[in-house]
Amino acid sequence: MLEVDYVCMANLAQFDMGIRGREARIRALLEDVTQYHRGIYPQNLLALAVWFGRSPEGQEQRLLELFSGLPNDGFANTRFSLLWKTGVERPPFVNIRATSVEHFSRLLRESPEQLAPYKENYEVLYFDKRLVSPDILDVFDVITEPPGLIKGWYITESEYEKSKSIQGLASLHEHARPEFGLVKLEESADFENSRGVLHVEVTQKWLPISPEGIRAYTYYNDYQAGRYVYFLFEGGALYKVLKFEVKTAPEYAGRLLGKTPDDRYPEVYLRAVHPLAQPAA
Amino acid sequence: MTDTLKSICEQCTHLHNPQLEFIPAGIQRQREIILRDLKELISAASLEREKSVVVLAGGLFESVLYCFIQAQSDYIAARRGSFTFDPEHSLENYVSIFNRWFSTVFTVPDAVVDYRDMVHLNQELKQPPEACRNAAPEMLRLLDTLLGKLSEYAGG
Repeated sequence: MLEVDYVCMANLAQFDMGIRGREARIRALLEDVTQYHRGIYPQNLLALAVWFGRSPEGQEQRLLELFSGLPNDGFANTRFSLLWKTGVERPPFVNIRATSVEHFSRLLRESPEQLAPYKENYEVLYFDKRLVSPDILDVFDVITEPPGLIKGWYITESEYEKSKSIQGLASLHEHARPEFGLVKLEESADFENSRGVLHVEVTQKWLPISPEGIRAYTYYNDYQAGRYVYFLFEGGALYKVLKFEVKTAPEYAGRLLGKTPDDRYPEVYLRAVHPLAQPAA
Repeated sequence: MTDTLKSICEQCTHLHNPQLEFIPAGIQRQREIILRDLKELISAASLEREKSVVVLAGGLFESVLYCFIQAQSDYIAARRGSFTFDPEHSLENYVSIFNRWFSTVFTVPDAVVDYRDMVHLNQELKQPPEACRNAAPEMLRLLDTLLGKLSEYAGG
């Protein structure tokens, strides 16, 4: 009996591996299509690719593609073999529904019921968050940052000294991609002091920085060298870094998008700098 | 404490003594190019050339990831279902592939691509005024860490 159980389990495992293997293979073939389509229209970049109605064992696969700036207001349908690279025309096939980000966004607002098929058993294969509106990312549960994340830029001591106002600093930085993110863990009642976990953007997602990882960053090394370090956040709030402190906190994994390998996080302690504050001596 | 590019670079042991076992013996030319560029990077850092450091380090990120991913094609194919190395990919592509399959080894921040893109004037203009000054030491440290991690990976 025991041997039979072993045989059954082994068969099940093989069956499972077979399904998983086929699913991985189909996903890889679909990703190859999306990779090709990323550069197919230089003026209309691929913004999102969703494998929907997933059935890895089927002969027909379905893919939704949204492009930025396409002028059309409808869907364009294409079907071809997923083995296109080899030049053969046989299963599995992909059925692509392509449209513009703008059109999809409009449908989302005006008749979301039309989009229900795309949410059936779907998987996001590719996205470029610079090209997709947040409402579309929400629809497909693409989460790129933890709740409460605020983003900002490092202001060096010399830059702070030269600055005339916080507004002036903001105007110099707000057009640039943020250099770090912060999830506040604690803030004083008067909002003067706060403490939080620093984040870095990795493949479009904001992940916590590890104690080893933070050593690469100029703000950390400038602080270690005894310089004043300032953080400017989106919206124009300016803070001075008081200290960095590494804390072991396995509980953070539940509120952040990722975790550090050993559950240790460098926390930063900040104090607000007010608009009328004079430059540091 | 000094924090010149020269002093930072001197602390980057993997830049000075690169262990490139992760590059297969069959692609000797790539190895020679990387070694040449590393020498030029050290030279630029010792002269405090921040823009040169940013651009050269960005190029080295691309070269190193190119070679590493090419060498790991079979491993990626086994995990992914299929994989064909594309030598025409961009640095952004290589970073994305590396972070997806080797994030336990090291994660390359997206900023590396932005920093490397400062080779173009229009891209540097999109950055804050001190971006190049801040990016140069970060690129040195990140590249040093990447080389160290890949060396450990190849040795392990």
